[in-house]
Amino acid sequence: MKYGDKIIYMEGIIVELKDGSVAIDFKGRLGYLKVPMRMLINDQPLQVGQEIGLNMSFVEVVNEQVNEEYISNIEKRKEKRRQNNG
Amino acid sequence: MAISAESAKEHMNEVAVVCCRTEAGTILEAGNLEDPAIFPDLEDSGLLTIPEDCLKIGEVLNAKLVKTIDSLTPLTPDLLEGVQTMEVESEKTEATEEKAVEEPKAAAAPNVQAIQTAGGVVKIHIGEGKDINLEIPVSFAGNMMGSSQPAAAPETAAPSVKAETAVSTVKEAKEAKEVRKLVKKHYKIDKVEFGPETKIEGTTLYIRENVNEDAVNVSNLVTDIKVDIITPEDYDKYSETIMDVQPIAAKEEDSKLGQGTTRVIDGVVVIVTGTDETGVQIGEFGSSEGILEKNIMWGRPGAPDKGEIFIKTEVVIKEKTNMERPGPLAAHKATDFITQEIREALKKADDSLVVEEEELVQYRRPGKKKVLIVKEIMGQGAMHDNLILPMEPVGIVGGKANVDLGNLPVLLSPLEVLDGGIHALTCIGPASKENSRHYWREPLVIEVMNDEELDLAGVVFVGSPQANSEKFYVSERLGMLVESMDLDAAFITTEGFGNNHIDFASHHEQVGMRNVTVVGMSFCAQQGALVVGNKYMKHMVDHNKSDQGIENEILSNNTLCKEDAVRAIAMIKAAMTGEEVKAPERAFNANVKENNVDMIEQQTNQKIELVPNEQVLPKSKKRLAIYEPEAAVVTE
Repeated sequence: MKYGDKIIYMEGIIVELKDGSVAIDFKGRLGYLKVPMRMLINDQPLQVGQEIGLNMSFVEVVNEQVNEEYISNIEKRKEKRRQNNG
Repeated sequence: MAISAESAKEHMNEVAVVCCRTEAGTILEAGNLEDPAIFPDLEDSGLLTIPEDCLKIGEVLNAKLVKTIDSLTPLTPDLLEGVQTMEVESEKTEATEEKAVEEPKAAAAPNVQAIQTAGGVVKIHIGEGKDINLEIPVSFAGNMMGSSQPAAAPETAAPSVKAETAVSTVKEAKEAKEVRKLVKKHYKIDKVEFGPETKIEGTTLYIRENVNEDAVNVSNLVTDIKVDIITPEDYDKYSETIMDVQPIAAKEEDSKLGQGTTRVIDGVVVIVTGTDETGVQIGEFGSSEGILEKNIMWGRPGAPDKGEIFIKTEVVIKEKTNMERPGPLAAHKATDFITQEIREALKKADDSLVVEEEELVQYRRPGKKKVLIVKEIMGQGAMHDNLILPMEPVGIVGGKANVDLGNLPVLLSPLEVLDGGIHALTCIGPASKENSRHYWREPLVIEVMNDEELDLAGVVFVGSPQANSEKFYVSERLGMLVESMDLDAAFITTEGFGNNHIDFASHHEQVGMRNVTVVGMSFCAQQGALVVGNKYMKHMVDHNKSDQGIENEILSNNTLCKEDAVRAIAMIKAAMTGEEVKAPERAFNANVKENNVDMIEQQTNQKIELVPNEQVLPKSKKRLAIYEPEAAVVTE
């Protein structure tokens, strides 16, 4: 990566808790992150509304070419959704 | 950050640098010094340059600073008064460096000469040695005296020589004790077809055509289930994310898991996949669905073997339940409904169809080094859960979820593990997760159980809860359990990476502080580097196999294999005899493993076959593009 070592401290708020996942809104309307719970470190049980911090970096495109397999996966999913709704 | 007095003592020979601005006249103590562990990073970033005449920590303690200096200034003689002269302990440090990580220093060749018998005298010459325990059974010594000699009274015939090390010449010092036995009867299946009922005929398995209609009713969260039979010709087909790979096995009547007889189908595995109604993969955080043959690392303990037929379920569960605990469990339950029907057919199958009878025996080996295997399993909730000890191998019924058991340590016999005692729901991190089949063929359990130099006491499963407070609670219980067992050593393994590395570290501490040698095993490499550490985490075996040291979405690629088990055993034996281990390199270096493997091969004269990695698979464009852009450029 070209800019991989640019580390930025970010803060966010826990907005959703599921049995296996945590969703976070970044402060300042900078995005949303959903990760498996095991990727979060907490001393006490998690609660919605808790503030979190993490070091992040910029998201870089590592390959300009579109990956057809991913496109096909996305299409398959859309199709499934259409079927289930229809 | 300042270091503690204890840490200063450990790092007497490291260079001394102040951590903060320090005033002239200060008498230096540990609290004024920076932690030497971070110097390499500081040097790399240009924040610190260590001059040649920089003093050592042992020399500067209690010396007086003559000049006020800024933080991160290396301490040189011109800045100090009353510098201590240190007796150079270079001998010791060299010793730690010269030994590589897991050299099993000729454990099998101690300085003990063969026992000779001459004129009715048992002569045992020990040139040099320590930790040598010789215990010679009466019959052994008696025979050595020759039949012409009248059998002497036990007291004289069995000299109670108390010297040290595991001496191979008297391996049978105490008889290994058979604890229990498990027989696996293998049934070969080379064809799977749908039919009017589920049954086994010859080498063909028929699955009831409408079995899915009943399987749907297992849980009200399941809205649909599709069963596919995947033969090797279909390996190039698309599949949803693989949640689990399971053996098909059934207990013969009255026998409990881990003993008696188990019937096993060879050549076929069950694969669980699923999505929710909107097409979102169960437990999805980014997808790893795709073409089967590009996403499976064949032959890993937890993966299918190339050539096997898959009975693949595709379970659809209610929308938005894919992240809640009942969701993934429902997908497993629905699949198990089908597997159970096959199990019932397997129980009825004719004995003449058995192609192989495998006997697994668990021994305790009194007098040998007593070891325990601790397997940390995920217990954060949802798909991070496991069912322990179901009635049938990798079944559902009867199994207790480790989350419901408070993630506390549960002891299993090695045979219970190898008989499907763990039904794993784990479903993220395809490359490092341990599927149910992994436990069914757990290489570490097999290797340690069959190692005649080790006395395997059992296998402890300890869950990894989410909050640190809970992690330490379970870890302390593990410590107390270990304390009560009088162990010599313990293996601690974990799967994947994330906050489970916090308990992994804590387990090392809890076990290590009780003077039990610990060897830790985990996927680390680049991406899974440990988040915390402590002084008991000295002996580590990395499960990484991927070229780049990352989670590359290839099923089971970076899981514990036989080669890792062999390295861990060599390391634990070396560590128990007091061998020092080289400090780790600063960044992940795959050569460390290669060197260790070479060393074990040299010492044991046995070739260790290393498993291939993702490079042998047909390359998916996805992988090329994302993970190996250089290779992508070349091939396109």
